[in-house]
Amino acid sequence: MQLDTKIPGGPLTEKWDRHRFELKLVNPANKRKFDVIVVGTGLAGGSASASLAELGYNVKTFCIQDSPRRAHSIAAQGGINAAKNYKNEGDSIWRLFYDTIKGGDFRAREANVYRLAQVSNNIIDQCVAQGVPFARDYGGLLANRSFGGAQVARTFYARGQTGQQLLLGAYSALMRQVADGQVTLFPRRELLDIVVVNGQARGIVARNLVTGEIETHSAHAVVLSTGGYGNIYFLSTNAMGCNVSAIFKAYKKGAGFANPCFTQIHPTCVPVHGTYQSKLTLMSESLRNDGRVWVPKNPGDKRPPRQIPESERDYYLERKYPSFGNLVPRDVASRNSKHQCDQGKGVGDTGLAVFLDFADAIKCDGKDLIEQKYGNLFSMYEKITAEDPYETPMMIYPAVHYTMGGLYVDYNLMSTIDGLFVLGEANFSDHGANRLGASALMQGLADGYFIIPYTIGGYLAGTPLSEINTSHQAFVDTALIAKERISKLLSVNGNRTVDYYHRKLGLIMWEYCGMTRNDHGLVTARKMIQELREEFWENVIVPGINLNFNQSLERAGRVADFLEFGELMIIDALARKESCGCHFNEAFQTEENEAKRDDDHFKYVATWEFKGDELEPVLHKEQLAFENVELTQRSYK
Amino acid sequence: MIKTINLTLKIWRQETSGAKGQLETYHASNISTDMSFLEMIDTINEQLTLDGKDPIAFDHDCREGICGMCGAVVNGRPHGPEKGTTLCQLHMRHFSDGDTVVVEPWRSRAFPVIKDLAVDRSAMDQIIQAGGYISVNTGGAPEANTIPIPQDTAEMAMDAAACIGCGACVASCPNASAMLFTGAKISHLALLPQGKPEAARRALAMVSKMDGLGFGNCTNERECEAECPKEISITNIARLNREFIKAGFFSSIM
Amino acid sequence: MNWLTNTLWSSVGKKLMMAVTGIGFSVFLVAHLAGNLTLYAGKDAFNAYAEHVHSLGPFLTIAELGLLFFAVVHIATGATLFYQNFKARPVRYSVNSRAGGRTIGSATMPYTGLVLLLFVIFHLANFHFADKTNTTIFQIVASAFLKPEYVFIYVVAMIIAAIHVSHGFWSAFQTIGANHPKYMPYIKGASILLSLVVGIGFGCLPIYVALMT
Repeated sequence: MQLDTKIPGGPLTEKWDRHRFELKLVNPANKRKFDVIVVGTGLAGGSASASLAELGYNVKTFCIQDSPRRAHSIAAQGGINAAKNYKNEGDSIWRLFYDTIKGGDFRAREANVYRLAQVSNNIIDQCVAQGVPFARDYGGLLANRSFGGAQVARTFYARGQTGQQLLLGAYSALMRQVADGQVTLFPRRELLDIVVVNGQARGIVARNLVTGEIETHSAHAVVLSTGGYGNIYFLSTNAMGCNVSAIFKAYKKGAGFANPCFTQIHPTCVPVHGTYQSKLTLMSESLRNDGRVWVPKNPGDKRPPRQIPESERDYYLERKYPSFGNLVPRDVASRNSKHQCDQGKGVGDTGLAVFLDFADAIKCDGKDLIEQKYGNLFSMYEKITAEDPYETPMMIYPAVHYTMGGLYVDYNLMSTIDGLFVLGEANFSDHGANRLGASALMQGLADGYFIIPYTIGGYLAGTPLSEINTSHQAFVDTALIAKERISKLLSVNGNRTVDYYHRKLGLIMWEYCGMTRNDHGLVTARKMIQELREEFWENVIVPGINLNFNQSLERAGRVADFLEFGELMIIDALARKESCGCHFNEAFQTEENEAKRDDDHFKYVATWEFKGDELEPVLHKEQLAFENVELTQRSYK
Repeated sequence: MIKTINLTLKIWRQETSGAKGQLETYHASNISTDMSFLEMIDTINEQLTLDGKDPIAFDHDCREGICGMCGAVVNGRPHGPEKGTTLCQLHMRHFSDGDTVVVEPWRSRAFPVIKDLAVDRSAMDQIIQAGGYISVNTGGAPEANTIPIPQDTAEMAMDAAACIGCGACVASCPNASAMLFTGAKISHLALLPQGKPEAARRALAMVSKMDGLGFGNCTNERECEAECPKEISITNIARLNREFIKAGFFSSIM
Repeated sequence: MNWLTNTLWSSVGKKLMMAVTGIGFSVFLVAHLAGNLTLYAGKDAFNAYAEHVHSLGPFLTIAELGLLFFAVVHIATGATLFYQNFKARPVRYSVNSRAGGRTIGSATMPYTGLVLLLFVIFHLANFHFADKTNTTIFQIVASAFLKPEYVFIYVVAMIIAAIHVSHGFWSAFQTIGANHPKYMPYIKGASILLSLVVGIGFGCLPIYVALMT
C-alpha cells in the first residue's frame, strides 16, 4: 500500500482552485456513459447522489433504511458551521480553518481542512436556496449561535433539528433526481461487499433486506458514505442501524483504515439508567451556551440539586477554563465529567452524571427565551427522564457520539482502492483527533455537494476503465462469499442472542478503549475481544431464514464485523503512544491532566492495511505537514 | 427505586406481505417503567429468540424521535397515547401493571405490511418525488442573505418542515389520507420565497401523485394533527388546499 | 381530461365541490328558516310568504334547479369520497381510539348525510309536491304536524341536520383554504351557532305548529 495524499502544490489558500483547474473534466455528453454507485444517503451520500446526478452521471443510490430521508444525519441537533462572519466578530475562512485544525489537536491535514472552511459558505447558500428554514433574526437575515471550541458565533441552525432540515434539503434534491430518472434508488439494501476488478472498485454486493436476495451492481466508481462506527460501543448516540460493515469490508478488500481509535465521546447526553437500555440520547451541545455544568464540591453529596448552596457547588469548567468556560471542546468537557465522577462527585442514582443547570439563564433571559431556544430539547429530556429541566437541572454524562477515524482518503476523497471514494463520517479526513461541534454537517455536505462532483470527474476522465457487467467472475465470486457467510451465521444455532454479544463487546470497548485508555487495559481488551469473537461464532443464535425480512440476521452480520473491527481500534490505540484529542492514553498527560501530544513521533495519520484474518495489519504513516499553523499545546484556559 | 410492571401484549404477526396475519398474545413481565416501548419489545424479542421462535419485526432506527422510522398503533393510537411523541420516545411509565396492550401496524392501502409491524412507506417518497423540492442545482445558489425572510414566516415554514415522515397521520386518519404529510411539505416550500416559483406546479403534481397512490381523502377529522408526533397543524392542509385551488384555477399550468 | 376536470376530480377538488355546495346549502337553510319563521306570526303571514316566493316565477325555478344541481353534486361527490375513503384502509384496526380530533359530526358525516337525503325526499313529497289546488300551504303543514310521527321525524331530522352542519360548516372553510389562526376560532364559533340555529329554529317549528293546531 502506497499512501499518496495528492495534495496539490502552491499556497494553502490556492490549492483547491488550482486542483479544480488541474482535474480532468468529463465532457457533458459523456457523463451519461458513467455509472456511479453511492452507498448511504446521509448528508454526504444524499448530497453526492443529487449533485452527481445533476451533472449527468447515472447514479445508483443505496440505503439501509426504508427511505433516504432517515439516515442518521437527521439526528444532528445543534447546527452547521460556516465562515460567513455575519456577526461581524472577525470570523474568516482562515479562523474556521484554524479552529478546526486546533480543535482536532493537530492531527488533520491542513489542505483538506482549509478546503472545508472555504466551501463552508457555499453550503449555507446552497441549503438556503433549497428551502432549509434556518433560524432568522427579526430583520429576516440568518441567525447564528456559538458552539464549543470557537469564540465566534458561526453556527447556523434550525431549532434543535438542523441535521434533519439539512438532510431533508439533500433528500429533496435527491428525490428530484429520482423523479428525473438520473438516480435509481435502492432502499432497504445493505452493502455486503465491494467488488474490485483489476484493482479498481467496480461494484457492490448488497442484500435486499425485504426479500433477502443477494444482488450485484456494477459501476465505474463506488462512493461510500456509510457513516461512522460508534455503535461498536453498543450504547451510543448513533441510530440502531449504524455500523462499520461497509467500510470494514472495503478495508478487507484493500482500502487503508485511518486512525480507527479516534472516537468522540460527546459530553452532553442523557445518562445510562438501566441494563435493558438500547441507546443513549444526545442533548445538543448548544445547551452549553446557556447551561452551566457543575457538581457538588463534596464527594457523595446526595442532596437534591436545589438544596445545594452556591458555595458548595463546583462549576468546574468555568473554574478550570475561564476563557472558554462551558464551551470547551467536547473531548475536554467529557474527560472532565469523567474526572469529577471518578472523584465520587457524580450525581444521580448511578453517580455517573453531572448537572447542566439552566437556573441562571432562566433568571437572566426569562423562561420564554430559553424555551424558544431549547424547547424541543427540554421536552425530549423530560420524555426520557420524567424530570422537568426548567425546574431541576438536567443530568448529563458523556456518550459515544462520532468517529473521526475512517477509511483513508487522499485529497480527492479516494481511498487506497482506485475508484472507491469515501465521504462524510466514513472517511477520516478533516477532524483530526477530535471534531468540533457543528462541523460534521459541514463536512458531510462539503464532501457531497462541493468536492466529489469535481474529483470523481477527474478520476473517470483520467482512468482507463474496461467495460464490465455483473456477470464478471469477480461479482459471482464476491456474491458467493457473502452468501456463504450468511449461511454460516444462520447455521451456528447456539444459545446466546446477537445483542448479548454486542452488549458485551460494547462494555469492553467502553471500559478499555473509551474516554481514557492505557496500554495494559488495551492489551486485556484485545484478548477479551478475541475470545468473545470465538464464542460468537460457536454460540450465537440467529433465528429465521435468509430469504425473508430478517432483522436478527442483519444485526448478526454487523456485530460479527464489529467483533473483528474492535481489535483494529485497539491495535491503533496501542500503537499511538501519545494522547491527542479524544485519544487519551493515561500515560501521556500534562500536569493539568490534559492530552499531551508527541508531535515528534506521532504527527501522522495511522493507516492500517489488512493482510489476512490471522495476520497483524500493517501500519502506514502519512506524515502531517503543518506549514501554516503553529503546533501548540491546546489551551482553552 | 426501579418500578416494574407486567403486561399482556397482543401483537400483530404477519409472515410476509401477502400472508394472512393475526394478533398473537405475549406476556411481558418485570418491565421497568423507565424502558421505552421499543426496548420493551426488544426484551420480548430476546426471549423469543432464545425460545427458538421468530422475533417480532418492527422498524426503528434513531430511537430519539427524529428519523421517523418507528411507529405502530398502540391500543388504537398511532405512536401510543402520549401527545407529541414517537413510539421510541414512549416510555413504559405511561402504562399500568396488568394492562393489555394491542399493537398493530400502520393500516393503509398505500402502506402494505412487509412483516409484522413493519410497513412499506415508499408511497411517501413518491409524493416528494412528484414535487417536494426546490429545483436548484448544486452551485447555482445566490448568497444566503440575499433574500430576507421574516422571522415569523421562517418559523411557520419550520413548523411545517418539522415533519419526520413517519406516516402516523395516515395511520390515524379515519380515511387513511396523507394530506397532513403532503400539506406540510407544500406549506414549507410555499411559505418561503425560494419555493414560490414552483409553488403551483408543485401543488398540482404532489396532490395528483398522492391521489394516485391509494390514500383516502381528507374530511377534516383532525385526528392527524392530534396524533402527529411533531404536532404539525392542519393549517398546513388549509394552505395546501389554497395552493392547489390557486394553481388549479388561476395558474397558467394546464 | 382538461385542467378543469383534473382539478375538480382530484381529492382536493372533490372536497372543494363538497365545500362550495355545502356552503350553498347553509345559505339556503338560513333563508329557508327565515321564511319559515313567519309560521310564528300565524297562518296568514305564512301563506303570504309562500305566495310571495311563488310569485318569483322563473327565478324560483332557476333557484330550484340550482339547488337540485347542488344536491346532485353534493350527493354524488360525497358518495364517491365515502367509497374511496372506505377502500383506502382494506384491513381495519382491531382497536379504534380517538386522539381528540374527531367529533360526533365529523365521524358521522356520510351517515347523517344519507339520512338527510331521505328526509329531504320525504319532505319534498309531503310539502313541495303536495297537491295545493284546494288547500293552502299552511293547511298542509298544520295537518301534517297533527300526526305525532311527523313531528318526531322532523325533530330528529333537524337534530341530525344540526350535527351535519356542526362539522360541515367550518370544514368547508378549511377545505377552501380559509384557516387562519386569527379567524378560525370565529369560523368554528359560527359553525356551532349555525348548527344550533338550524337545530332549534327548524326543530321547534313542528312542535309549535302541533301545539297551536
